[in-house]
Amino acid sequence: MTTEARRKWSTFAWTALTYILVFLLVFPVLWMALTGFKTEIAAISVPPILFFQPRLDQFLLAIQGGFGAYLFNSVAAALVSTAIALVLGIPAAYAMVFHMSTKSSNDMLFFVLSTRFMPFAAILVPLYVIVTRLNLLDNLFVLIVIYTAMNLPLIIWMARSYFLELPKEVLEGAWLDGCTTFQTIVRIVVPMAAPGLTAAALLAIIFAWNDFFFAVTLTYTNSPTLPIMVAAFTSNEGLFLARVSALATLIILVPVAIGIYAQRYLVQGLTGGALK
Amino acid sequence: MSQTNQAVQVPVLPDKQKRAVSTVPPGERRTWLHLPALVYMIVLTQIPFLLAVWFSLHAWNLLVPSEGFPFVGLTNYVTEFVRDVNFWPIMGHTLELVAGAMILALVAGTILALLLNRPMWGRSVLRGIATVPFLVTPSVMALIWKNLFLSPSSGMINWLLHFIGIPAVPWFSAFPLQSIIFIVAWEWTPFVMLVILAGLQSVPGEVLEAAKVDGANAITTFWRVVFPLLRKPYQIAILFGTIFIFQTFGEIYVTTSGGPGVTTNTLPYYTYRAALSSFQIGQAATLGVIGVVVAILAARGMLRLMTERTASERG
Repeated sequence: MTTEARRKWSTFAWTALTYILVFLLVFPVLWMALTGFKTEIAAISVPPILFFQPRLDQFLLAIQGGFGAYLFNSVAAALVSTAIALVLGIPAAYAMVFHMSTKSSNDMLFFVLSTRFMPFAAILVPLYVIVTRLNLLDNLFVLIVIYTAMNLPLIIWMARSYFLELPKEVLEGAWLDGCTTFQTIVRIVVPMAAPGLTAAALLAIIFAWNDFFFAVTLTYTNSPTLPIMVAAFTSNEGLFLARVSALATLIILVPVAIGIYAQRYLVQGLTGGALK
Repeated sequence: MSQTNQAVQVPVLPDKQKRAVSTVPPGERRTWLHLPALVYMIVLTQIPFLLAVWFSLHAWNLLVPSEGFPFVGLTNYVTEFVRDVNFWPIMGHTLELVAGAMILALVAGTILALLLNRPMWGRSVLRGIATVPFLVTPSVMALIWKNLFLSPSSGMINWLLHFIGIPAVPWFSAFPLQSIIFIVAWEWTPFVMLVILAGLQSVPGEVLEAAKVDGANAITTFWRVVFPLLRKPYQIAILFGTIFIFQTFGEIYVTTSGGPGVTTNTLPYYTYRAALSSFQIGQAATLGVIGVVVAILAARGMLRLMTERTASERG
C-alpha cells in the first residue's frame, strides 16, 4: 500500500469508528423510541425484534390517563419559572456588568455560582417544613418558585457573559441620550443580547422540565409533572414496556429538541462561562 | 428566534457614539438592579440552609409530635458520625458513584471529543446527536435503562452477552450501585465531550494532526502534547461533573429506591429518606448540612478558578 492509500484508509477507519461509537451512545434512546411503536408482546421478545409493523396504539394509550394534566404542570412550571428568572436575572446581570465595581461584581458572581452548587437535598428539609406549614404542599406554585431559584444563577451568569461582550459605545450613547436604565435594558441590551438570552432561557426550560427531585418530594400527589407520571406509571401498573417507552419518548422530545437547537450554548450554560 | 434576530439591529445611535468616547465610563454607579435577584436567592437558598443548621441542632420527629423540638446541640452530628451504622457506608457509596461515573464519563467523553474533532462529513450533526444522553430526562431514561436494557429476563444487554456465553445477569440485584454508575456515566459522557471539544478548539491544528493520525503514536502524543494543553477544560469538567453527579437522585429513585438494604443510598438520597420516609427532621437536616460541607469543599477550587478570570475579562 502506498502512503497515500494508507492515509485514506486510516481517515476512513477513524470516521467509521466515530459513526459507530456515536450510534452506540444514542442507541438506548433510539431503541426506546422504536419500542414505543411495538406491541407489548413484541417489546419483551427475546431475541429483540427489529422489523415489525409499527403501530401508534402505545402512544395513544400513553396520552390517556391524565397525560394532559401532567403536561400542563410541566409546561407551566418550566415556562413561568423561566420567565420570572429572566425578569429577575437580566437586571442583575446588567448591574453586575455596567454598574457595579469589579470587586462587588465578582462577589456577586461568586454568590450566584455558590447557590447553584448547594445540594438540593440540604434545603429539602426546611423547604418541606415551610411548604407544609404554609399549606402549599402539592401546589404547582411551589415548583415554580423553586425552579426560578434553580435557574436564576444560570440566567445571571449567561446574561452576564453576553453583556460583557456588548460594544460599550452603543450603551454610552444610550446613556448620553438620556435613556433611563429601564429603557436601556429593554430597548438596547436585551435586543442585542437576544440570541444568548434565548439560549439561556431554553437551557432553563430543560432544567425545569427534567427535574425529578422537587417534583417527587413536594408536588407528587396533586400537581405532578411528566417525569412523575413515568415513575408512578411503572409502580402502579406493572411493566408495560411498549407503553412506557412511548410515554418516555414523548417526554424527552422537548429537552432533546431544545438542546440540539441550543447546542452551542450548552457548555457555557453549564459551566458559567468558564469555557466558551 | 427570527423575531429576536431582527431586533438585534434596533440600536442605532450614530451621532451620540462619537461624543460618548470622551466621557467618563458610566460604570460603578449606585444600583439596586441586582437586589431583587439577590434577595430571591437568599430567601430560597441561604435562609433554608440556616434553618437546616438550626433544625440539625434539635431532635425533631414529625411522627412523634409529643417529643417536641428539644435542643440537643451537636448530638445529631455525633450520632451520624459515630452511631449510625449506615452513615460511613453511605459516604462510601457516594464517593464510589461520583468517582466511578466521573472517571467513566471522562474516558468515554475524551475519546468521543478527539474523534469528533476530526474533520469529517456530517460532523456537526454527529456532535448534536452525541449530546442526546445528556439532554434526556434522567429519571425517565434510568427507568428505560432498567427495563429495556438491564432487565434480567428481556434486557438487551443480557441477550448480547449470551452470544459470548455469559449467563443472564440480574443487574440491579447483583450489581445495583455499579448499574447506577453506568447509567449516570452514560448521561454525563456528552457533557465531558462538549467541554473537551470546546478546549480542543484552542489547541493548534498541527498538534492534533500529529496526535491523532498515526495509530500507535496517538496515545503517547495525546498524553504528552494534547493533554497538558487541556488542563483547564479537564478541571472544569471534573469540578462541575462532580458536583452535579453528587446530586444524582431520580436515577436511584426509579431503579433501586436505594436498595437492596442501603447499598445504593448516597448522601442526598439518604437525606431524602430520613426526611420523607422516617420524618426524622433533625437527622435529615444534619445530613443535609453535612452534604453542603462536602459540596463546599469540592466547589472551592472551582469557584476560585472561575472568578479569577473575571478581572481580565472586564479589563
